[in-house]
Amino acid sequence: MISTILIFPIIACLLALLIKNKAFDTFLVTLYAVVHFVTTMMLALGYGNKTIPYFAVDNTNLIFLIVLSLVFLMVAIYNAGYVKNFEFPDKKISHYSFMILIFVLSMTGTLLSTDLGVAWVLVEATTLSSAYLIYFNRTKHSIEAAWKYVFICSIGIALAFVGIILLNISTGSVNSLNFVELYANANHFNHIWLKAAFIFMLFGFGAKMGLAPIHFWLPDAHSEAPSPISALLSAALLNSAFLVIVRVFKIMELANCSEYARIMLFVMGFLSLFVTAVFVYHIKNYKRMLAYSSIENMGILAIGTALGGAAFYAVVLHLIGHSLAKASFFLTSGNILELFGTKRIKSVNGLIEADGKTGWLWVASFLGICAFPTSVLFVSEFLIVKEMILQKHYLFMALFVILLTIVLFGIGRVVIKMAFGKVSEDKVKVIEDSRHKVCVWMYIPQFIMLIIVFVLGIYVPPLLNNIIHLSAAGF
Amino acid sequence: MVNGFIILFGLTMLYLAATSRIIAHIRLLIAQGVLLFLICCGGYGHIDLLNFGFLAIETLIFKGVVIPWFLYRVLKKTHSNRDVAANIPHFYSLVISSIILLVSILASNYYISSMKLISPMFFGVSAATIVISLWLITIKHKIISNVIEFITMENGIFLLSLSVAKEMPVLVNMGVLLDVFIAVYILGLFVNEINKEFNDLEVSHLSDLKDYENND
Repeated sequence: MISTILIFPIIACLLALLIKNKAFDTFLVTLYAVVHFVTTMMLALGYGNKTIPYFAVDNTNLIFLIVLSLVFLMVAIYNAGYVKNFEFPDKKISHYSFMILIFVLSMTGTLLSTDLGVAWVLVEATTLSSAYLIYFNRTKHSIEAAWKYVFICSIGIALAFVGIILLNISTGSVNSLNFVELYANANHFNHIWLKAAFIFMLFGFGAKMGLAPIHFWLPDAHSEAPSPISALLSAALLNSAFLVIVRVFKIMELANCSEYARIMLFVMGFLSLFVTAVFVYHIKNYKRMLAYSSIENMGILAIGTALGGAAFYAVVLHLIGHSLAKASFFLTSGNILELFGTKRIKSVNGLIEADGKTGWLWVASFLGICAFPTSVLFVSEFLIVKEMILQKHYLFMALFVILLTIVLFGIGRVVIKMAFGKVSEDKVKVIEDSRHKVCVWMYIPQFIMLIIVFVLGIYVPPLLNNIIHLSAAGF
Repeated sequence: MVNGFIILFGLTMLYLAATSRIIAHIRLLIAQGVLLFLICCGGYGHIDLLNFGFLAIETLIFKGVVIPWFLYRVLKKTHSNRDVAANIPHFYSLVISSIILLVSILASNYYISSMKLISPMFFGVSAATIVISLWLITIKHKIISNVIEFITMENGIFLLSLSVAKEMPVLVNMGVLLDVFIAVYILGLFVNEINKEFNDLEVSHLSDLKDYENND
C-alpha cells in the first residue's frame, strides 16, 4: 500500500518526461493527488500493508500523511485551473509538473521514513525540487528567493547532518539510525553528545521548518513561488520538517534530556512569534504577510511541543488547522494576484466588490487562521494557553496571548483594508480583463478546506479523534 | 601519518582565508579532495572494502575532479577572478582563522581525549573547518566564493563523518553524495542563471526582497 504512493510518482515522472503536453502533465499531478488521497484514506482505515523497508505508517506520522494528502489534493484541483493561465511552452510546464511530483514524493518519503538517515536525504530532496518551483517565474526576484532558499536550507541541512554524526557518536554501540532502535536504546546514550546533536538538528531541520532565527528564506520563497507551490510549501513542507524534529525530540525525552530540548523549543517558538509580531507591520506585500503568519504558527507548534502533556493534542489539532487554513489563504492570494496583477497591499482595494467569492474566501481564511471560533485553531490555541496556566507559566502565557494579538491585529488590518471599500479606478479595467482567468476550480478547494477548519472546531469525528490522540501519544 | 594529513587539511583552510584569487581557491578544493582520500587510506584498517571504494570515489572523483572542474568552467564563463571586496582584510581573516583552528584543536584535545570513540584531531580540525567556512561565507561578496566555502564546509563535515566511518551505515555516505549533488547541480546552475540575469556575481544584487519595499 505504501509502495503505491512512493512508486506511482516515479512512473508519472517518467511519463511527464516522455510526453511533454500541458494538459496531460497537469492531469498526471491531479491523478497522483487522487491516488495519494485514496491510498492514505485506506491506510487510515486500516487496510493494506503499512510497512516496507525504510518506510512505514505509524501512529505518529499517520495524521501528518492525512494532512499532506488532503492539502495536495486541494492544491492539485486548484492547480488544474491555475495552469490554464500559464503562457509558457509545454516543455516548461512539463518540468513544473515533474518537479511537483518529485516534491510531493520527497515530502511523503520524509513523513514515512523510519530511519533518520533516509529522512535527512529526503528533506534535502525537497529542497532540490522546490527550488526549481520557486524559481519557476524566472524573474530577478524569484531567482533571489530561490538562491536564498537553496543556500540557507543547504547550510541548515548540512548542520543537521553534523547533528546526525554527533547522535551517532552519542549512541555508542548502536549502529543504526532507525527510530525504533534509537528509541529502544535512548536511555544508554551519552547526554553531552546527545545535547550537542539536538542543537544541530534543531537548527538544521528548524531552518527548513521556518523557526526563527533561521527563517529568512521563508518570506522570500513563499512570496515569489507560484501560489499553489506557496500553499504546498507552507502547509506541507514545514510539517515534514516538524515531524523530523518531533522524532528527535522523542529521543531526547526517552534519554531523559527532555528538559533541555523543551527550553530550546520554547525559546525558538517565542522568538518566531516575536519576529512575526515585529515584522508584520512593515509588510507591503500580502503574500509575504502570509509567510510571516506561517512562521508564527510554526512557533506555536514549537511552544506546544515544548509544553508537553495535553499540549501535544493541541499541537496536532493546530497542525491540521493551520495547514488547511493557510493553504486556503495562499490559494486565495493566487486568485487576487490573477485579478489585480500585483502583490502590493496598497494597490488592492475592494476585493469583495471586484470578485465576491475571492473576497469572502479571503476574509474567511483570515478568520480561520486568526482562531476565530469555531475555527479549530481556536481550540488548539485555547488548549495551549490552558496548559500554560496549568503548568503555572503565567508570564509566558501573557506574552503568548499579547504576541498573538499583535500578529492578529497586523494581519487583520491588512485583510480588512484589502477586502472592503471601493476598487480604485485604475484597477477596474485590469480586473475586467483578468476576470476570466479565475475559474470555478480556483474557488472550490479553499471552500472545502475552510469548511473542514470550521467544522473541526465544534466536532471532531471519533475516527479522526482517535488518530489525533494516537499521534499525540507518539510525541 | 593520518594526523599529518589532517593538519595539512586544516592548513588549507588558512590558505583559503588568506587568498583572494578564486582560481587558487579551486585548486585548494582539489588539494582537499586528495587529502581526504589520503585520510581515508590511512584509516583503511577499520573500514570494509565496499565502504572504502565508495569513500574513495567520493573524495577523489567528486571532490577532487568533478566539482573543481565544474567551478573552473563557471569561473571562465563569468571572468570573476578575484573576490577583492571582502569586508575584512586578508591579514585579519588569516589571524581569526588561525585562532579558530587553534582553539578548536586545543578544546577538542582537552575535552575529547578521554573518549575512545572519536579522535580529538579529527574532531578539532573538522569543527574548525566548519566554523571557518561559515564565517568566510558571511564576509565574502562573490557568489562563487560562497559556493566554494559551502563546499569546504561539506568537506569539513565529511572529515567528521570519516572519524566515525566504521559505525556509519553506507546510507549516510549516500547523503554526503547528495550534498555533492546539491553543490554541483543546484548551486552551479544558479550561479549560471544569476550570472545571466545580473551580468555579475555579486551577492549585493541579491538583496532586493525586503519587507518594507514593494515587490511585485
